[in-house]
Amino acid sequence: MVALLVRLKLTLLKNSLKRSVWRTVGLIIAMLYALGVVIMVLAGLVALRYASLALTADVTVIGFAALSVGWLLMSMLVFGVDETIDPAKFALLPVRARELLPGLLVAGLISAPGIATVLVGAGLVITWARTVPLTLAALIGAVLGVVTCFLLSRAATAAFASFLASRRFRDLAFVGVALLGVAMGIAGNMVSAIVRTDVGGLRRSLSNLAILAGWSPFGWAWAIPADVSGNAWAETGLHLVLAVALVGVLWMAWGHFLGVRLVSPTEGGGTASKVRESAAVERLYPATPAGGVAARALRYWRRDPRYVAGIAGFLIGPIVLIVTQVINPEGTAAVAAFAPSLLGLLVGFSLAQDLSYDGTALWLHISTGISGAEDRAGRVMSTITVYLPLTVILLAIAMITTGAWHLLVPAVGLTFALMLTGLGVGSFVGTLWQWPAPPPGANPFTRGNAGGLPSLLSFTLTMFGTLILALPTIALVIWSFFTPWVAYASLPVGLICGFLVLRIGIAQGGRVLDRRWPEAMLAVSEKAA
Amino acid sequence: MCLTGQVTAALSLVGLCKSFGLKRAVDHLDLEVRRGCMFGLVGPNGAGKTTTLSMATGLLRPDAGTARVLDHDVWADPAAAKALMGVLPDGLRLFDRLSGAELLQYVGLLRRVPPAEIASRAAELLDALALGDDRDTLVVEYSAGMMKKIGLACALIHAPRLLILDEPFEAVDPVSGEVIRSILRNYARAGGTVVMSSHVMELVESLCDELAVVAQGMVLAAGTLDEVRAGSSLQQRFLDLVGFTAAGEESLAWLRSSSG
Repeated sequence: MVALLVRLKLTLLKNSLKRSVWRTVGLIIAMLYALGVVIMVLAGLVALRYASLALTADVTVIGFAALSVGWLLMSMLVFGVDETIDPAKFALLPVRARELLPGLLVAGLISAPGIATVLVGAGLVITWARTVPLTLAALIGAVLGVVTCFLLSRAATAAFASFLASRRFRDLAFVGVALLGVAMGIAGNMVSAIVRTDVGGLRRSLSNLAILAGWSPFGWAWAIPADVSGNAWAETGLHLVLAVALVGVLWMAWGHFLGVRLVSPTEGGGTASKVRESAAVERLYPATPAGGVAARALRYWRRDPRYVAGIAGFLIGPIVLIVTQVINPEGTAAVAAFAPSLLGLLVGFSLAQDLSYDGTALWLHISTGISGAEDRAGRVMSTITVYLPLTVILLAIAMITTGAWHLLVPAVGLTFALMLTGLGVGSFVGTLWQWPAPPPGANPFTRGNAGGLPSLLSFTLTMFGTLILALPTIALVIWSFFTPWVAYASLPVGLICGFLVLRIGIAQGGRVLDRRWPEAMLAVSEKAA
Repeated sequence: MCLTGQVTAALSLVGLCKSFGLKRAVDHLDLEVRRGCMFGLVGPNGAGKTTTLSMATGLLRPDAGTARVLDHDVWADPAAAKALMGVLPDGLRLFDRLSGAELLQYVGLLRRVPPAEIASRAAELLDALALGDDRDTLVVEYSAGMMKKIGLACALIHAPRLLILDEPFEAVDPVSGEVIRSILRNYARAGGTVVMSSHVMELVESLCDELAVVAQGMVLAAGTLDEVRAGSSLQQRFLDLVGFTAAGEESLAWLRSSSG
C-alpha cells in the first residue's frame, strides 16, 4: 500500500505538471526557495559543530521546536495541506484508514516542505555527530521530530476540517483562527520587545527559552540529543517516552479523522436553512446590472466563508500594530495612528481575487452580456460597503487609544487614498489573472495548487501598483512630519487621486474584461488537480 | 412549428472549430436552426455537444468559424446576441449562496428586466416549476433536479427569443419533466426557438421537430425527425450513425459469477 500510494502521488504530480506550465514554474520556484533555505540552515548546523555542547543544545532545541510550530501554523493559516492524494477519494474502495496511513505519510513527505524538513532533520544528525551515543540520539530525535511535524499539521487540519464541515461553525472557526493569528502576532512582538530590553541576559534568556521549548510538545523529540549531551539521562528517557507517545497520539488522531472522512466524504448538509427575504440589500444599490452585482456580492460577504475569512485576515495586521504599539511603553503613537492605512492597502487584493472566487458561476455574467465596467463597478460598491465602516471604526480606535488627534487628517487622507487607489488597481489587476479557487464550502485547507503563481502575481502587482499610484499622497504625508500644515493638503489630494485611479481602474479593467470574458471563464474552470 | 421560407435562422453555426491541445473537440461544425423550432442535439459522450453550445453562447472562444443568433454575430456583437438568448449550461456552478428568489432577482437585474417585472415573473416561474416552497432556501441546498429547474427559470426570466439548454432534463423527476416539456412546447408555439442537447432518444423523439446527430465534433445527420430516422427507429439510426457494435457474448464473462 505504501509503494502504491507513493507511486500514485508521483503520477499525479507528473500529470499535473504536464498540464500546466504555470504549475511547473510554481513548483520550480518553491523548490529553489526551499533549497536556498535548506542550504543556509545546513550551513548553520555544520558551523554549530564548532560551538560548545550547551550552545548547540539550546540553539537546536529552539530552532527545531520553531520548525514544528511552523508546520502547525503554516498548514493551518497559510498553505493548507497538500491534498494531491485526497483521502475522501478512497471512500468507495474497501480500505481501512489504518492501511492508508503509512502510505499517506510517506507520500505526503514527497513535497517541497516535506523534503526540506527531512534534509534539515538530517542536519541535526550532522551537527550532533560528535560521539556515537550523541549520533544515535540525534538520529532518533530527528526521525521522531520530522514525523511529529508532519503528523501535527495533518491531525490539526483534519480535526479542524471536520469541525468546519458543519456550516454553522465555519464563520466562527475562521474568526477563531484569525484571533489566533492576532494573538501570535502580539505575543511575538512582546517577546522581541522583552529580548531587546535585556541584551545583557541574551544568553541566559536563550537557555530559558530552550528549556521552555524542550518541554513543550513541539520540542520533546528535538531535545533528546541535547539531553544526552548534558548526560541528563532521566530527562533523555522522559523526552523519549513523551515524543513517542505524542507520535502515537497524533497518529491515532489522524487515523480517527481519516476514518471519519472515509465514511462521510462529502460535507454535511441535510438541514435546508432558509434565508430571510430582505429587499434591504437591494435598496442599497441602484436597480441596474452593476447594482445587482453589488447586492449579490454583499450577500456573499456574509454567506461565503472565504469572504469572512478574508475580512478577518485583512484586519489582523492593523489590529496587531495598534495593540502592540499601545501596550508597549516604547511604542510610537504615529505607527498606531497610521495602522488603518494598511487595511486600505490590502482591500484592493480582495477585488483582484473576486473573479476567481466566483468560479464557474461566472458564466452567468458572461451569458447575460453585462459589460466589464458594470461588473467592476458592482464589486467595488459592495467592497466599499463592507470595508468603509470597518476602516472608520479602526481609525476611531487608533485615534482614541493613542490620543494622537494631530495625526487625524493625514491618517484619514492616507487611509482613504490607499483604499480608493487599491480598489482601482484591484479592479484592473483582477481582470488580468484568474485561477481556479476552491469553491465555497470545500475544505478550505486544500491548497489551490494551480492558484499559486497567478494569485501571487496578482497580489504583488496590486500591492506595488497601489503604493506607486498613491505616491503623491504618501509623499505629502511624509512631508507633513516636517511641515505640519502639509497634512491638510494630503486629504484632498488623497481623495482626488484615489477617485481618479478608481474611475480609470474600473473603465480600463472593464475594457480588458470585455475582451477576456471567455479566457477568464477558462481560467477559473480549470479543475484544481 | 419551424418556420419555413426566407427568414433568418434562429441559430446558425458555420465552420466552428475548437481544439484542446491535440484533441479536436469540434471539427468544422455547421448547423442551422430555423425559428420556432424545437431542435435536439444528440450524440455520444465526448461528441462535442457542450463545447458547441458553449461557443454558440459566448462562453468559449472558437478557434475558427462563426456563430450567429437571429443575425447577430455572437463574437462580433456579443451584447446584442446575448440579449436574445436564454442559456442553461451543464456542469457549471450557479451563484449558489443565494436563495432561489434572490438568484432570479439577480439574473433579472443583470438582464435589465424592469424591476417591477422581475418580482412578478420570478414568482410565476418559481410556482410553475414547483419551487415556490423553496424560494428562500439557498440554491446550494437544492437537489440536482431543482438546480436544473432554477437554472431554467434563470434562462427564461427575460423572455428570450432563443433558448439554449444543455441537458435540461437530466436528474429532473417525471412530474417536473412534464412541466418543463409543456413550458417548452408553449414557448415554441408562441414563436420561440429551443436548442437542447440530450442523451435520451425517446425524449428527443417525443419533443423535438428537428435534430442533429453529432459525433467526434461533426454533424453526422441533420434534418426533421423523419428525415434523420429514415424509416428506422431513432435509437437504431443513432447507433448506426455513431458506429456502435454490440459486445459479444464472451466479453466480461467473469462478471457472470457474481450472479451466482
